[in-house]
Amino acid sequence: MAKMNVNSNAYIILYSVVMVVVVAVLLAVTSLSLQERQGENILNEKKQQIVKALGENPETASYGDVVAEAVMLDKSGKKIEGKSDADIFNALGDLTASFEAGEFPIFKAKNGCVVIPVYGAGLWGPVWGYLALESDMDTVKGIVMDHSGETPGLGAEITTSKVQDMFKGKTIFEGNDLVSVSMRKGGATNNHEVDAISGGTKTCDGVNAMIKSGLEGYLPFLNANKSNK
Amino acid sequence: MSNLKNLTGPLSANNPVIVQILGICSALAVTVKMEPAFVMGLSVMVVTAFANLVMSLLRNGIPSRIRIIVQLVVIAALVIIVDQFLKAFVYDVSKQLSVYVGLIITNCIIMGRVEAYALGNKPWDSFLDGIGNGLGYAAILLIVAFFRELFGSGTLFGVQIIPQSWYIAEGGFYSNIGIMLFPPMALVIVGAIIWVHRSFNKDLQEK
Repeated sequence: MAKMNVNSNAYIILYSVVMVVVVAVLLAVTSLSLQERQGENILNEKKQQIVKALGENPETASYGDVVAEAVMLDKSGKKIEGKSDADIFNALGDLTASFEAGEFPIFKAKNGCVVIPVYGAGLWGPVWGYLALESDMDTVKGIVMDHSGETPGLGAEITTSKVQDMFKGKTIFEGNDLVSVSMRKGGATNNHEVDAISGGTKTCDGVNAMIKSGLEGYLPFLNANKSNK
Repeated sequence: MSNLKNLTGPLSANNPVIVQILGICSALAVTVKMEPAFVMGLSVMVVTAFANLVMSLLRNGIPSRIRIIVQLVVIAALVIIVDQFLKAFVYDVSKQLSVYVGLIITNCIIMGRVEAYALGNKPWDSFLDGIGNGLGYAAILLIVAFFRELFGSGTLFGVQIIPQSWYIAEGGFYSNIGIMLFPPMALVIVGAIIWVHRSFNKDLQEK
């Protein structure tokens, strides 16, 4: 074989094309073959966060121990029949679309508490969380929040138990009005507020909007179950 | 004989972090705890070793004009594969490492070794050189993480080392040193390692 000129344009183009195709195939194969395991990990993490929102330690209590059922609600707060757990967890992956389609996933715990998934925008990227309410549908049992890119030490503090514990025992209703729980700059002044994070105001605003708008979708359900008491 | 030198050289006399001063950024970022430091060290080692191996195998066919691009593609592909594996098998750690896994691509150690060594040497030598440099990097990460986790959190690999009864909350006299958890302390520790290392290796001292 004649020695090829490795610096000719034709060779360079051919080389690049072959390289890109080989790498693309390699990455596609890796990604596809590991997809299932990664999906399980993500599902498992969601379950652990739900357990944690309910105030249980995910290392000792499993999702099945704590949660009685996962339910999909419609706009009027009625259960949509025929939704499997897999459907409901899939909906968590894209909550905005799910809310727009009039589907509201909710997790009912064995002790009467409920866990509501919420989703919003922080400063740099999405923030999301699971808000657990006591059986009175008013008192916050606990909250777990996570984010994809908030500033460490500032906005990212929403993932710490120090911030999340402040929400416990707060109430979301004032009389019959939904006021939600918000993080207030300057410190909490009443039972619907917790202290905001200094330096993380934009993230806190995002969290406030996330909880408020999330709860609004569940209002019919909350009202219906609240009046039972 | 020379093979062995490829492996051991980067551990001390030619260490990528404390002698070549490469990869400092990630060394500061992922050394709060031993576990992520260990996984990060291992990931970098795998990437340097295979990047060196692949580039050394390709070295005679690479058009020199697109050499850097080819290196980047190979390194980036390897890093993505490592990232996918971490997400599948050690999900917690992969979350802790977050963006730093992706940033292995920009770790100067890898491109430095490919450019300086793999393009001019045989595949097996290059592979060992990659392993050696990865080990050198991992060793420094683990030393830094050892001090930061022990004094910052009182644990090693998540296991409580400092007895609970020593803590002030339990009526003792001790409390964790919070500043150890911040990146500047990692820089101080890296500095201290360099100091100790150079006082034993006088030939490395600048005149």
